[in-house]
Amino acid sequence: MKRTYAAPRLLLSVRSLDGVTRAPRERLLEIQNRFREPESLAVTLVKAVDAGAAGVLGAPSPALRTALAELERVVPIYAVLPALSPQAYRMLEPGVEPLIARTRRDAGLVARLRMHLTGVLRLSTFRRGDFAARAPVLLEAGARLLPRRGVTGIVIAAPLTDAALAGDHRAFFESLPRFVHARFNAAAGFETRNPGLLLQRLREWGVEPDFIVGPVNPRGLGMKPRPVETLTELARGGVPLVAAELRAGGLCNLEEGVRYALEHSAHGVAPDLAEMDEVAVELRGVGGMLAETR
Amino acid sequence: MSAKAGPPDGPTALPLATQRVAVVGLGRAGVAHAVMLSHVPGCELAGVADPRAAARAALRGMGFKVPAFARVERLLEKVCPDAVVVCAPQHERARMAQLVLEAGIPVLVERPMARTLEEAEALVLLASKRRIPLAVGHPLAFEPVFARVHDVVREGVLGPVQHARSAMFVSRVFAPRPSRGPGRLDPRRVAGGVVAHLGSDLLFVLVRMLGVPVEVRADWNLLYGAVEDELHGMMTLPDGAEVGFDCSWSVPGYSRASTVIELDGPEGKLLASDEALELDLTRAGAGFPAGYSRLRDADFDAPARFDFGGETLWSHDAAFLDWVAGGPVPPNEAFAALDTHRVMDALYRSAAAGGIRVKVAS
Repeated sequence: MKRTYAAPRLLLSVRSLDGVTRAPRERLLEIQNRFREPESLAVTLVKAVDAGAAGVLGAPSPALRTALAELERVVPIYAVLPALSPQAYRMLEPGVEPLIARTRRDAGLVARLRMHLTGVLRLSTFRRGDFAARAPVLLEAGARLLPRRGVTGIVIAAPLTDAALAGDHRAFFESLPRFVHARFNAAAGFETRNPGLLLQRLREWGVEPDFIVGPVNPRGLGMKPRPVETLTELARGGVPLVAAELRAGGLCNLEEGVRYALEHSAHGVAPDLAEMDEVAVELRGVGGMLAETR
Repeated sequence: MSAKAGPPDGPTALPLATQRVAVVGLGRAGVAHAVMLSHVPGCELAGVADPRAAARAALRGMGFKVPAFARVERLLEKVCPDAVVVCAPQHERARMAQLVLEAGIPVLVERPMARTLEEAEALVLLASKRRIPLAVGHPLAFEPVFARVHDVVREGVLGPVQHARSAMFVSRVFAPRPSRGPGRLDPRRVAGGVVAHLGSDLLFVLVRMLGVPVEVRADWNLLYGAVEDELHGMMTLPDGAEVGFDCSWSVPGYSRASTVIELDGPEGKLLASDEALELDLTRAGAGFPAGYSRLRDADFDAPARFDFGGETLWSHDAAFLDWVAGGPVPPNEAFAALDTHRVMDALYRSAAAGGIRVKVAS
């Protein structure tokens, strides 16, 4: 029987630790400083799960891996891959090959062998540069960074998603979830900065990943191509969207953001560390709002 | 919030008719332009050119099934685009732009438009003689906060600007650059380091807003190679006002590029950054009340229809296409950009000579 993968309704986003957020720079530095010690992050992750979060959304960065290693219990992870900082993306030449080269450089022998095997099995070595064929090799490189237990979802990072979206690369969105299900036995999602356009394209193509993650907030910040078009796509009820950037970079409060997202048919929400002061308390509040809309 | 945040005055309108646009040079900037152009309504990415087969394959791998050529001549011959965006390496940029202009086709060229001031002047002269639109890549001028700053200053709300300080920082270069391959910065092939690559965008906003300085002095730090990683400049405007300019790509804590402009005038003070615009005015003006006002970046309209690690480039490219289609001249037209190139050249000459005062060429 084919296994189905549910989209999460409540995630704790730690993307601000990866430098990926619209929060002001000062807030970003404050959060990165607050969670510098792995113990602080580990405690917060546990509190988030206890408060009802289905898992943690973030790149398997050294900071997150160290925090997870501190814990005896399993914290579900929705890992964003490739696990590169925005700065690293900006330093690389465009395309998937420089990403592969970069991750291969950091990988050990076993990971490199797995990358090679993944490429050979999929004949992707003969389709160099093609996102759809080569992305599995890239994800294989990221696999070495994942914790042994608790990987519940794999989320393709926005720079890769949006590059493929820009090129209307249907095969990329079609094939990657299959690979993620087979290889990681986890839900497959796409992080995007263009949620309305991605939802529209997926609907037109008839492609259904398990979920997408993208900005939804009352100020319309980041809701590309236009807030109204994004809301129209959301209302159609296609691929589940987990709303991020709920506070619009600080222009509204979390409750407003969550309520707005849920009222406009977002399947779930992923408030970020940078959007909360009392993570456990605020996540419980969000959980209550989710229960109301169940 | 004490003032309504409307769209910045300036060219954010959509192109008037379908235009077939080509991109020359498929590095980071070229691909970003290709992505943005594909999402400007009425624009079709008609072709690309890059001598590197891998770069052409990378774009194809993203899903862009457009004609791709190794040589720009072949692209012009086969595709006959309505406009071309030139993002070739700096040492080839002027020659590529010249080829396109000589074919009678409007050009948007990445900054700096040429490796040397002489090449830039020749390019602008050619475009001017032939009356062909030539614009230079300066997206910061289209960032809503800085577009609004320009309007505030030009409307004289602060009175004559007496002091200005500005800075652009990003955490990017922390190790010696490679001697070959991507990432190498050979002074014979580039106009310079952090100023040519990044800071000239801020310089453009300053020059356009405050006017061309008469004189500059600068010092630089070459930390990781043969081009500057930091530059500290002081520019003197015709009325004697001083404008500070700091630029570095080797400071920690700036995972995102951060730009700040501070202005003091007899009628008020202004502080603008990528994140907010703050004003303290003695009297109301430019849509702001007297007293303190603050607008966050998210308070401003965001007209871009696609975000690819930022959205300003969309407005920038749309404004150029608007011009090509007969719309208003964008702020980054070539003559304005040439002024910036002259100031950059003067800063470099000053820094190379140990910080002496250098007149800005006119």
